[in-house]
Amino acid sequence: MKPAQLTYCRPNSVGEAVTELVEGGWNAKLIAGGQSLMPMMNLRLVSADRLIDIRKIDALRIRNDEGAQVRIGACITHDEIQRGEIPDPSNGLMPYIASRIAYQAVRNRGTFGGSLSLADPAADWLTTTAALGATIEWEGVGGKSSCLAEDFVLAPYTTRLEPSDLLTSVIIPRLPGSAKWGAYKLCRKTGEYAHAMAMVIRDGARSRVFLGATDGAPIRLPAVETALKDMTLWSAPAAKTIAATCRADIAASGRDLSDVRIWQLCTCLERAIKMTFGLQEPMFGETSWK
Amino acid sequence: MEINIRINGEAIRTHIDPRITLADFLRTRADARSVHLGCEHGVCGACTIIIDGKIARSCIALAAAMDGAEIWTLEGLRDDPIIAQLRKSFHESHGLQCGYCTPGMLITARDILMRGRRLTDEIIRESLAGNICRCTGYAGIVDAIRNAEASIASERLAASI
Repeated sequence: MKPAQLTYCRPNSVGEAVTELVEGGWNAKLIAGGQSLMPMMNLRLVSADRLIDIRKIDALRIRNDEGAQVRIGACITHDEIQRGEIPDPSNGLMPYIASRIAYQAVRNRGTFGGSLSLADPAADWLTTTAALGATIEWEGVGGKSSCLAEDFVLAPYTTRLEPSDLLTSVIIPRLPGSAKWGAYKLCRKTGEYAHAMAMVIRDGARSRVFLGATDGAPIRLPAVETALKDMTLWSAPAAKTIAATCRADIAASGRDLSDVRIWQLCTCLERAIKMTFGLQEPMFGETSWK
Repeated sequence: MEINIRINGEAIRTHIDPRITLADFLRTRADARSVHLGCEHGVCGACTIIIDGKIARSCIALAAAMDGAEIWTLEGLRDDPIIAQLRKSFHESHGLQCGYCTPGMLITARDILMRGRRLTDEIIRESLAGNICRCTGYAGIVDAIRNAEASIASERLAASI
C-alpha cells in the first residue's frame, strides 16, 4: 500500500511541464491534487517513474471572469468552486456539484482539471461541463488545442489528450439568469462515485440534457431536449413522455447499458427535470446549508 | 530530495525519498503517531490531518509535495480549545471505542465545528461520511459533536454576558 519508486519534479510553467512529460514518455504522470492518482499508486494499479507536480503552476490557477464566459484553471480545487471563490457562470450549479464530490478532505485537494483529465465516467465534472457547453483547453508539444467538453471523452479513462498534453483550463459560457438547472446523482453512500447521474439546463425553449456515470462519455439526449421545449409544467403524463423519450435517446446512442442502469438513469433524469421546475429539492450538500 | 515543512509549529528541513507518503513521513520522521493508517487509499479517513488550514488525507498526499506547507496533527492541537471540548464530549457521549478512527474523527469534527454554521444531525452525518468507524455505529460520535457545539455556544454566550 505504498507507491513504488519514483522521481518527483515540480516545474514552474506549463512549458516546463510539457518538456518533462515528453522526456518521461509513457512512464511520466502529471499530479495535481493526487486524490485519484495516489490511491491508484498506493494500490500499485498505476506506476509512474516520473511524477510531475503541476499544482502550484500559476497559469493553472487562473479564475478569469471574461464577461460572457469564465475561464477556470485546471488546478482550481473542488473546495474553491464549492465556496464560491471562483466567479460562478452557472447560476449556482457548479458550487452545488462541487459540494457533492467525495468528502471535504478530498475536495480540499482534488482539482477540476485533474478530475476531467482522468475521465472516470462517474466523475461529476465530465457531465457538468458537457451540460454547460464548456470548452476544454490543453497544451502539448503540438501547441495549444481545445474541444467542446461533450467531445472530450473517447472512452472510460480515455480523452483526446495525447501523452504529452496537459489540460490547462476550461471555458464555461455564462448561463442566462433565467436558466434553471437540475442535477441528480445516485449514490448508495454520501461521497462515493455515482451509479447514475443526470444534468438538465432549461432556459425557456432551449435545453441541454446529459446523462452521466455511463460506460464512457456523457450521453446527450436530443429528443428529451426537444420534448422539454413545449413543457411548461411537470405532470404525470409529462413524466411518462420523458421516460419513454429518454429510453429512445439511450437506444439511439448505441451504448450498451443494462436495464438496471437505464432505469437508474431515467430516475435521475426525472428528478433533475423536476428540480428545474422547482418540484424537487436539491440534494443535501454544503451549499444547501447556507 | 529536500523539503522545508512546518509540522505542529516546528520548522523542519530534511531529505526524503520522493515515494514516501505524508502519513508515513509524519509517523516515522515527525513522531506524529496520531496519524493512523487504516486503508491507505483515501477511504477510511483515519489519517486526516490539516494542511495549510484545510483538512486532508495524509495517506494520499506525497511528502515531496509538501515543500513549504504547514501541517497540524492532533499532537499539535493539545491546547486547541475546540479539540479540548471535543475530547470531553467524545468521552461523555461514548464517541469512541477502540480509538483507531478517533484522531481522524477529531480533526474532521473540529473542521465541522469551525465552519460556524448551526449543525443538524443531517449535516454532521453527511460531513462524517468520509470517516469510517467500525465500533460505535456513529450515534455516539454524532452526539459528541452536537454536544460539543452546544457547549461551545453556551461558553461563548456566558463569556459575552
